[in-house]
Amino acid sequence: MRKLVSIVLLAGFIFYFATLTGGLMIPSASDERSSVGLDILSRTADETGSANAVTSVVVLYRGFDTLGEVTVLFLAALGISVFMKSTGGVRKKALDQSFILKTGSRLLFPLMFLFGIYIITHGHLTPGGGFPGGVIIATGFFVVLLTSESVEFNKTVMSVLEGLAGLSFIGLGLVGLFGPDNSFLQNFLPLGDFNTVFSAGIIPIIYAVVGIKVAAELSSVVFAMKESK
Amino acid sequence: MVNPILLIIIPLGTAFLISTVAGSLKNSTKYLAFLALLANVWISISLLPQVLKHPVNVIIAGIKPPLGINLLVGPMGAIFSIIISVAGILVLLYSFKYIEGEGQSKYYTLFLLLITGSQGMILTGDIFNLFVFFEILAISSYILVGYAGDRNGFEAAVKYLILGSVGSVFILVAVALIYQETGTLNMADLAGKFASVASGKKMMIMLFFITGMGVEAAIFPLNSWLPDAHSSAPSSISAVLSGFVIEVALIVIIKFVYSIFAMTEILQYLSLVGVITLLVGEFAAFNQGNIKRVLAYSSIGQIGLILFAMTLNSEAGLSAGMMQVVNHTASKSILFLVAGYMIKMTGSYQFTDYKGIAKKMPVSSFLFVLGVLSLIGVPPFLGFFSKLNIIIAALAVGNTFNTVMVFLILLGTIIESVYFLKILQIFYIGDPIKGGVKEAPFTAVFPIAIFAVVILLGFLVLPEINIYAGSAAAELFTKIQITQVF
Amino acid sequence: MSGVISISLVLNVASSGLILLGLYIIFTQKNLIKIVIGLGLADTGVNVLLVSTGYIDGNTAPIFSNSALNISNMVDPVPQALVLTSIVIGFGVSALALALIIRLFEKTGTLDTSKIRGLKW
Repeated sequence: MRKLVSIVLLAGFIFYFATLTGGLMIPSASDERSSVGLDILSRTADETGSANAVTSVVVLYRGFDTLGEVTVLFLAALGISVFMKSTGGVRKKALDQSFILKTGSRLLFPLMFLFGIYIITHGHLTPGGGFPGGVIIATGFFVVLLTSESVEFNKTVMSVLEGLAGLSFIGLGLVGLFGPDNSFLQNFLPLGDFNTVFSAGIIPIIYAVVGIKVAAELSSVVFAMKESK
Repeated sequence: MVNPILLIIIPLGTAFLISTVAGSLKNSTKYLAFLALLANVWISISLLPQVLKHPVNVIIAGIKPPLGINLLVGPMGAIFSIIISVAGILVLLYSFKYIEGEGQSKYYTLFLLLITGSQGMILTGDIFNLFVFFEILAISSYILVGYAGDRNGFEAAVKYLILGSVGSVFILVAVALIYQETGTLNMADLAGKFASVASGKKMMIMLFFITGMGVEAAIFPLNSWLPDAHSSAPSSISAVLSGFVIEVALIVIIKFVYSIFAMTEILQYLSLVGVITLLVGEFAAFNQGNIKRVLAYSSIGQIGLILFAMTLNSEAGLSAGMMQVVNHTASKSILFLVAGYMIKMTGSYQFTDYKGIAKKMPVSSFLFVLGVLSLIGVPPFLGFFSKLNIIIAALAVGNTFNTVMVFLILLGTIIESVYFLKILQIFYIGDPIKGGVKEAPFTAVFPIAIFAVVILLGFLVLPEINIYAGSAAAELFTKIQITQVF
Repeated sequence: MSGVISISLVLNVASSGLILLGLYIIFTQKNLIKIVIGLGLADTGVNVLLVSTGYIDGNTAPIFSNSALNISNMVDPVPQALVLTSIVIGFGVSALALALIIRLFEKTGTLDTSKIRGLKW
């Protein structure tokens, strides 16, 4: 039964993609097509003051998606901590790597942290922002954890940080609800000078919150996985 | 005016809040969750009179759609919002005693996120945003299915996760193709532009979307995860999953087929699928010994019935389908919640072990009987009127196909009555079982009794229900107008 | 459109190939880890498809880093934002799946779906 269903499904898929790619072989007039994205492109600089159009889409035009996305990460971290809670088995003895690796990772950690912060704060100017920056910071924790397993992190701090960052995201959004447009996530701050760090109103602030949240969530995933051993 | 966005923001914010304060508040976080859902109930009910006059369009980030994301709340959205909030708060109340142990604040966080996802899916006016809320809903259900931490729970959760992820891949392909073809993600804008897409691609986009969403809506043959997931989850979660989660996914399909894709030629196939789903569910339920699997298969049957009613291509059918949704939410929640405490008290999932349990748990058993009667469709319960309306609507369409389908539905109902009566017979006949079986606590019986009041006294407010369901049906039936949004 | 193969075509073939491969693995393999890998491949395929919907041949990233750039030679920013969301969601689901599978393995001692038969698969 399972086999049959899968064969039928795959046959349908192959047929579908044959038609799809077939249609694409004919050069289409894609240069002249209109789309929401191209409309956004022509207005974003004046409307949001963010030099990076992708950032303005992620944080403002589709900021509600970003809130959902952060929630998905939060859920994944929460789910992993639900499933990975220690079952009372014997924990393996913590194993540290050699002195060189340990010192190297501790040397790397502040640099990675700083780089993460740079990526987060320049999200509206260059490619980057809260998600990649948060991942870089979490990777810093991961590197330390990989080399020295005996290091203990405070899990409560992480979960408080996660919650607070989420609450600040929502809080920033709610401020807009009392603004002139009664609109959630409204950009209520002045736009500043275009293409400088202090510009684009609430975009860098939201990205900073997202960065903190992503970093805290990914780190707590790593901790939960480590705890369960 | 109360902003409908609060329906999404309040549970989401409370979930974050619980995660922040869980360390210091320990197990009292459940009251925070309760307050959040109480606010949700109030907002959704106060929204209903407004949307009956005119659909509410909420702009997010001060950017007008189609460039930004908006919420578009019509009567259908408001009614579903009420169903979700009310069923949510009652099941939450039931969970107070039912969910025990350390770390229960995580359960309440997950529960709130499940509500967030459902509300978001119903209220949003943007297809990619719909996908994001779909994922929130789906992921929180995967975790909650495995929450109990037993072998069956993990197995069901893995199975559900794999099938659900395949479904989400399909939905995302549909979203990508829609953006490629029309350059928009806004539902109202899309409703205007979709007609100009080449018909072959239209059909493909729609099939992708229906297949993807159909996994979550448990349409045959995409429903193999449901009996496992709904029977292995904690009973409170089974009640929610059967009560509104699959219906939310189903109503999204219906909304897309009628008012966004506007492809009514596919409806007849969907109604055939609906009847097949119904028969598969009822026949499979017939042979089960595990009470929760019986209820899970019966949910498949009911979802098939709702799908059939809603794909009749008539307002009467849609309206009857909405009524059936209300009936199914209330009665299936009763059955799952009662079953939860029976399992807890007897320690067995097999209903043959419940001989004479009615003497030990009289109130619960009585509520179970009410749920069964409404689900089968015995007058004067709400289920009778919704099934009657469905049959009238189907016969009003008046072709041979629908007449045959009505007979098949009646056959399904007969099977349903037989296996449910078999269970009731075991409850009431025979010597009471030994052991410390006692009545469920008040926090469990009270919410179940409220569900029972809905199905028992529903017929008193039948005209009102018809008006609300009718306006929801009218909203689904007419294409979303671009003028409503801009 | 000269004689060279266009990048859009390459992207489309890649995305269809990845999705097909992913689904093939999911439906035919019995090892749960392999199934998660299949999910990852299918996710990646969809991401490629999403990115390709906004791609315009020869145009550059939509960042106004100097005033010489103008919107007529930039690509569509919306699919890039969508793909960011979709990548994050894909990551969350696979991490969760792996955590669940670790637990299931502890309970059953196998990763083979045909041997895990507490419930009906």
